[in-house]
Amino acid sequence: MIDVKNLEKSFGSNHVLRGINEHIYPGEKVVVIGPSGSGKSTFLRCLNLLEEPTGGSITVDGIEITDPKTDIDKMRQRMGMVFQQFNLFENLTVKNNIKLAPVTLKIMSDAEAEKKAMELLTRVGLPDKADAYPSQLSGGQKQRIAIARALAMNPEVMLFDEPTSALDPEMVGEVLELMKELAEEGMTMVVVTHEMGFAREVGTRVLFMDQGVIAEQNNPKDFFENPQHPRLKEFLSKVL
Amino acid sequence: MQAWLADIAADFNQSFIAEDRWMMYLSGFTVTIRVAVMALILGVAIGIIIAVIRTSHDSRRKNAKGASVVLLNIADWFCRVYLTVIRGTPMMVQLLIMYFVIFASSRNQILVATLAFGINSGAYVAEIVRSGIQSVDPGQMEAGRSLGLNYRQTMTKIIIPQAIRNILPALGNEMITLLKDTSLVTVIGCRDITKAALNIQGVTYQAFMPLVFVALVYLTCVLILSKLLARLERRMRASDRR
Repeated sequence: MIDVKNLEKSFGSNHVLRGINEHIYPGEKVVVIGPSGSGKSTFLRCLNLLEEPTGGSITVDGIEITDPKTDIDKMRQRMGMVFQQFNLFENLTVKNNIKLAPVTLKIMSDAEAEKKAMELLTRVGLPDKADAYPSQLSGGQKQRIAIARALAMNPEVMLFDEPTSALDPEMVGEVLELMKELAEEGMTMVVVTHEMGFAREVGTRVLFMDQGVIAEQNNPKDFFENPQHPRLKEFLSKVL
Repeated sequence: MQAWLADIAADFNQSFIAEDRWMMYLSGFTVTIRVAVMALILGVAIGIIIAVIRTSHDSRRKNAKGASVVLLNIADWFCRVYLTVIRGTPMMVQLLIMYFVIFASSRNQILVATLAFGINSGAYVAEIVRSGIQSVDPGQMEAGRSLGLNYRQTMTKIIIPQAIRNILPALGNEMITLLKDTSLVTVIGCRDITKAALNIQGVTYQAFMPLVFVALVYLTCVLILSKLLARLERRMRASDRR
C-alpha cells in the first residue's frame, strides 16, 4: 500500500533520514520506535509529505506522491494523521472540527457530515462535547477528537505521530484504547510511539529506527524478546 | 465675570450658531467619517492580500518551480517595494503627491484622500496581519493540510480567523491612527471637520472654540471606537473559552 524507496531527508547539513526502504501492507499496524532524534517522526511526516523528502520516492497505491505533478491534497485525503500536539482547530467547535474537511472538500453535504460527526463523536465517547471549543477539553479528549476528525475523511491509512506523548499519564489509556479498537477494525496504521505495551499488544510489526535508518524490525514477540541489534538491546534495556 | 461670560457666549455664537455654522462641522464630520471608513476598508483589503502574498511566498516549497512560483516571486517583490515606499515616506507627502501629481486632473478630493489613506493604511495593516498569521501555531496549518485541504482553504478557514483575533488590538490602534490622520486631508483642500474649523476660524478670528471643539469630536470618536473594539475583543475571546 505504501512503498518507500531510498527515502532521504536533510535539514540543512543535518542528515535525518539516510535511506529508508520499507513497504506497508494493507491492514498492517506498523509501530515505529526509537530514541529521540532517530528520525522516526520525520519518517512518518514524509509519508504524507508534511516533510518534503530530499531524496528517494514514496508510492501510495501505485501513485508516486513524491512526484511534483501528483496532487498531494487528493492523496492526503486518503491518509489521516494524528499529531502529538493534537492541533485541533482552535477557532471551531468540536463538531465543526470534524465537519470542516468533508464539507469544504465537497465529499459530504452538510447534513451528511453532521451525521457522520455525531456518529464519530459517539464512537470516541464524547457526543456531549459537540459544541465545545478545543480549549475547553482535556488532552485526552482533544486527542480523541483529533482521531475522530481524521476518521471523518474515511482514510485508508492512519498515521499517528506520538499521539500520547503530550498527555497526562492518566489520559494515555483512553487514547490507546481507541487506537486499539481502530486496529481491531482492520485500519492500516503507522504509529510512532514510546508506548512499548501498545507496540507489543497491537502492532503487527515493530520497526526500530536509529540514526536515520531502520536498524531492526520484527514481529512484536521476537522484537521484544529476542532483539539482535546492540543499539536496540541497549534501548530496550533502558525503556522496559 | 459677567463680561467674561458674555465673551464666551459671543464666541460660541460666532463659532457655532451664526450663519448656521454648525452645519459646516456636521458636513465636515461626515467627510471625515467617510474618508476614514472607506480608507479602512481599502486598507484592510490591501493589507490582507499583501500579507497572504508575503507569507505564502515565505512558506513556499524551497525547491518548487513553475509559472506560479515566478508569479509569486514577482508579486512578493512588488509588495516589498510598496511596503518600503509607503512606510518610508510621510503620509502628508503621499497625500500631496496623490492629489497634485498622480490625480492632478481630478478635483474629487474625497476620493483621492480615501485612496491615499487606504493605500497608506494597507502597508501597516499588511505587517499587522502578517505578524498575526505568523502568530498562529504552525500545527494548525499542518493539521489542515493533512486532511487534504489546500493552502488557500486552510488559510481562509483556519489561519486567518485565528490571526484576526490575535491582531485585533493592533488593528484597533491602526484604526484610531487612521481616523486622526484624516485631518491631514485639509492640505488638499478636502472639507473635513478640521477644515471646517479652520474655515470658521478664518472668518470669525476665533481659534479657541472651533479647534477645541474639533479636538473633542476626535477624542469622542476614538473613545467610542476603543469601547467597541474592547467589546468585540471580549466577544471573540468568549467564543474561545466559554
